[in-house]
Formats: sequence, C-alpha cells, structure tokens
Amino acid sequence: MKVRLTTDFLTGLLFLAFGLFVIIYGSRYPLGTAARMGPGYYPLLASSGLALLGVILIGRSVVTGGGGEVSAINLRPLLMILLGTLAFGLLVERLGFLAAGLALVLLTRFAERDIRLAETVALALGLTAFTTAIFWYALGMPLRLMIW
Amino acid sequence: MELFERIAFGFSVALIPINLLYGFVGVLLGTLIGVLPGLGPVATISILLPITFTLEPQQAMIMLAGIYYGAQYGGSTTAILVNLPGESSSVVTCIDGYQMARQGKAGLALAAAALASFIAGTFATLVIAAAAPQLAEVALEFGPADYFSLMVFGLVGAVILARGSVVKAIGMILIGILLGTIGIDVNSSVPRFTFGIPQFGDGIEFAVVAMGLFGIGETIANLARSEGDRTFVKDFSGLWPKLSDLKAILPPSLRGMTLGAALGILPGGGPILAAFSAYSLEKKIARDPSRFGHGAIEGVAGPESANNAAAQTSFIPMLTLGLPSNAVMALMIGALMMQGLHAGPQLMNNKPDLFWGLIASMWLGNLMLVILNLPLVGIWARFLTVPYRFLYPGIILICCIGVYSINSSALDVMLACLFGLVGYVFHKLECEPAPLLLGLILGPLIEENMRRALLISKGNFETFLTRPISLSFLILTAILIVFLAAPRLRSTRERAFQEQS
Repeated sequence: MKVRLTTDFLTGLLFLAFGLFVIIYGSRYPLGTAARMGPGYYPLLASSGLALLGVILIGRSVVTGGGGEVSAINLRPLLMILLGTLAFGLLVERLGFLAAGLALVLLTRFAERDIRLAETVALALGLTAFTTAIFWYALGMPLRLMIW
Repeated sequence: MELFERIAFGFSVALIPINLLYGFVGVLLGTLIGVLPGLGPVATISILLPITFTLEPQQAMIMLAGIYYGAQYGGSTTAILVNLPGESSSVVTCIDGYQMARQGKAGLALAAAALASFIAGTFATLVIAAAAPQLAEVALEFGPADYFSLMVFGLVGAVILARGSVVKAIGMILIGILLGTIGIDVNSSVPRFTFGIPQFGDGIEFAVVAMGLFGIGETIANLARSEGDRTFVKDFSGLWPKLSDLKAILPPSLRGMTLGAALGILPGGGPILAAFSAYSLEKKIARDPSRFGHGAIEGVAGPESANNAAAQTSFIPMLTLGLPSNAVMALMIGALMMQGLHAGPQLMNNKPDLFWGLIASMWLGNLMLVILNLPLVGIWARFLTVPYRFLYPGIILICCIGVYSINSSALDVMLACLFGLVGYVFHKLECEPAPLLLGLILGPLIEENMRRALLISKGNFETFLTRPISLSFLILTAILIVFLAAPRLRSTRERAFQEQS
C-alpha cells in the first residue's frame, strides 16, 4: 500500500507526535487522584485525546486516502517574514528599536520578488518613523530607540 | 423601565468624549481592515491587543468591538466593488453584490448593505441590552461543575459549526488546551512544561500566540498566494436609495437580523455562518430563486444584516458567561484578562460602566459606520488600490512592536515568530487555527472548574450529572454530538459552507 502524504495524514502525524511528546514529557508530573488532581492529570487527558485523534486521522487517510495533497510551499515569503521578525527580536534590545524596525521592513520586503531599491528604503524609513511617532511619542511606550 | 435606565446609563458612559473617540478609532480601523482583503478582524485585534493594555478597560473594549462590527461594514464594500471578500463574512455578498455593481447598481448595493447592517446593528444592540442581564443573573448560580459542562458544550458547539474537518478542529482545541497548561500550576505550584525557562512560569502570553498564528502566519499565507486579477467597478452613483428600493431592502434585512442575532449567540456561531444561512433563506423563500446570482438585492441585504447582527450578539455569551463563541470573542476575553478583568456574570455588577458603555457604544458605532461607509465610500475604494507590498511590512512591524511591548521581552518576539511558522504549517495542513485560540482561553478554566468540582464531590464524577444545570448542558452537548454523527446534518453542514466557491 502506498501512503500518500495528504494533509490529513500529515496532520495526524503532527497530532500524534505532539500528543506523545506531552504524554512522555508530562509523565514527570504527579497524576494524583480524581478528587485531588496532581499537575499531570489534566495534560495527560488532553494529550492522550490528541494522540488518539492523530491515530484516527492517520488510519482514515491510509484507508480512504482522504484529504488533499499539500499545496506547493512558497519558501521565499516564509523565510523572509520569519527572518524579519527574528531580526527584530534579536536587535531590539541590542541596537534599539530604530535599527530593529529598519531591519524588519527591509528583510520582510524581500518576501516578494519585485524590489525597487529606492522605494524599499523609503518604505523602511517611513514605516519606522511612523511607528516611532505613534508608539514611542504618542502612546509613550517604553521603547529604547537607540542603544550604543 | 429598568432596561431604559440601563441603556441611558450606557449612553452616558459611551458619550464621554474619550470613549467616543476610541469608538470612532475602532470603527474607522474596522472599516479599513474590512475593505482590505487579507487583513481581518482576528489578525487586527491580535495585533492591537498589547496596545490596548495602555488604555482604560472601557476604551479598550469599545475600540476592539468597533473593529469587529466595523469590519462587517467594510467587507461588503470590497465584495461589491471588486468581487473579493474584504472580510470572510462578506463572501456571500460577492455573489449578488458584484453582479449588481456590474449592472451599474453599485451605489444601490452599497446602500443596501450599509442600511441592512445598520438596522441589524440597532436590533442587536437592543437584544444584548435585554438578554445579557437575564443570562448573567442565571449564570451567577453556576457552580464549578456547571461551568465545566458549559465550557464543554461551548467547545463542542464551536467544533460543529466551524468550517472544515471536525477531527482536526477537536485536535486544534486540544493543542490550545495543552499550550494553556504551560506555566506554574495554581494548585500545586509545580511549573509545567516550562522547559527550565523562567519566563514561561506565567504561561505563554495569549497575545503572542494569537499574533503569531494570525498576524504573522496569515501574512505569510497571503504572500504565498497570487494576487489574482481585480476588476474594479468605479462607478458607484445612486447611493441614496429611492422609497421603492427601501421597500425591497427592509424585509430581507428584518429576516437577516433575526436569523443573525440567533446564530450569533450560539457557541461556534458568528457572522460567517449567519451570512451563509441568511443567503440560503432568502433564496429559499424568494418567488423567483433564479434571480439570485444575477444581482438580487435580497442577496445583499439579508446576509449583510445577518453578519452584523451575529457579530454583535456573539458578545452575549462572552460578556455574561465568559464563553467565547468564536476567535474574536476569545481575543476579547484575552483583552479583559490583560486588564485584570474576568469575563463572566460578575462583570456586569463589578464593572457596570464598562458593560453598559460597551453596549451603548455599539449603537453609536453603527451610526458612525453608516456615515463612514455611505458618503465616504470613495475614500475606502481608493485604499483598495494600495498594493499589498506597502502594507505587509507595516503589519509585521506593528505585530512585533505589540508583542515586544507586552512584557518588554525579546523572547516573546521570537516566540511569536515561532507561532508564525506554526500558523503557516497549520495553513498548509488545512487546519483552522481559530479553535486553538478557544482551547487556549478555555483550557485553564476547564481544568480549574473540573478540579474544583471533583474536589467538592470527593472525586465522584457523578457530580456533573446530578446537578441540573450541568446535566442540561451535557444533554445539549450529547444532542450536538448526535446531530454531528447524523449523516443528513453533515451534508447540510457541508453544503452550507460550499456556496462560497
């Protein structure tokens, strides 16, 4: 039997893996009794349910071939958006908000193919200035603009 | 009349200039994101959640609510002019609204949508004012076992009325519940699933998960999709309907608002379901159903009235029982929690100004929306010409600022980034992320109430069956499950969501 990597099958795998992980990792927490539940009782209930659903999804997709194929993954936007947010997280406490904001806009802008350099730089400067005005100046959020 | 006194009190709160201002900001933002395809109220409210932390609770709630029902208005503009749902609940409006626009009746379609929404908004405000206090009274009697059963009922209802696979939806709820267990267990002070990271002791921030999944995850998904060609209808004259047009708009609006108000209260219900149901109702009772799909005005007025009514009445279970019927209501509860307030029956008594002010603000907001959406529709239509490449870096930037500002924690930004990836994976696997949010909000409450109920009953599970309120909710839950298993209903459910394509 050939197993098709349908959305149902992969979701089942994900549910099962996550459920099993929580069951195993959570086994360190005492279960207690129904009247005096320990910290491990409720997570065990939920994670066993999740693992069970995973098995159902896998079984069903193998038998009926249910669920469509996973549509093509467009890596460029995925990577650039994640990189942009990651850069913001890394820079905001090291170089300050201005650098983090500029880096974020420049990086995320590369999620699309048609990049006009001047336009992108203007957008980065504009958005950073705009958000600084709103969040730092008007709303008074405790953002450190520049760290030397 | 006590009801009128309360409404008057609500208006006295809602008419305070600063509250009016935030209400206006809310409906303005709501219209804007409603008009823009690819940015919905869930993402917007997630993004703004941390910012509301700096506001007074009333202002925060008034603004966030305005975004939600404002989006119902704005969504129809895009649906009618561009044949794209600006907001997911206006999918059905595309069918007949765009046809009307192509026949040169765009102005009439826009007017029908806005007026129907306004009628429904007025009615829904009254329904909330009348029903919410009654429900809150009843809910004050609830014990832990009753709450447990109520929440289980709410979650099961949410699954049944949700779109897509039921198994996946339940799984997403369980993942949400498990994410909710992260942090120090209140009963035993044991840190659960913190992986030795001290910041995880308080649990992971709700706003971080919401923003990652909806703000970042959906932006990635939007970018990966091709824009498609947009054919724009630019002529929208005839915004002021004639008396004969009003006569055609009124009956479907009244039917839509009744149906929508009822469906909004149901767990799992909300604008999308309401709009679909109203459309099928109109089609069913029409003398000539073949007009639908070719510019029938009922096909615009009915669904638009229903989605607005449902958006507003879904506040009833949230405000009075603490039960979120959809992802937006889960976010509202999150916003209250950030303010140190708990959604539930005590809210009305502890914070009457917030409660009644919010309700009154909805009517004022609807009034502002009619003005914003009819005479100013040209301005909104212009926003549709702004390319997405100017918008999404700003969306992500505001997301990051919001996440960072909750605890001034760079770790939260990384976590949101991780949830953005998770959100994209869910998108690829065709798993709706909304049930996860419901699980995340309700999970800790279910655990707490289950533990308390079983502590009182000394570990006897019969307590859930012997208390009448708890038993009724469990019976209702069982009925829902039976319906779910019944093949006839299943096919209806699938058909109800099919009309979109």
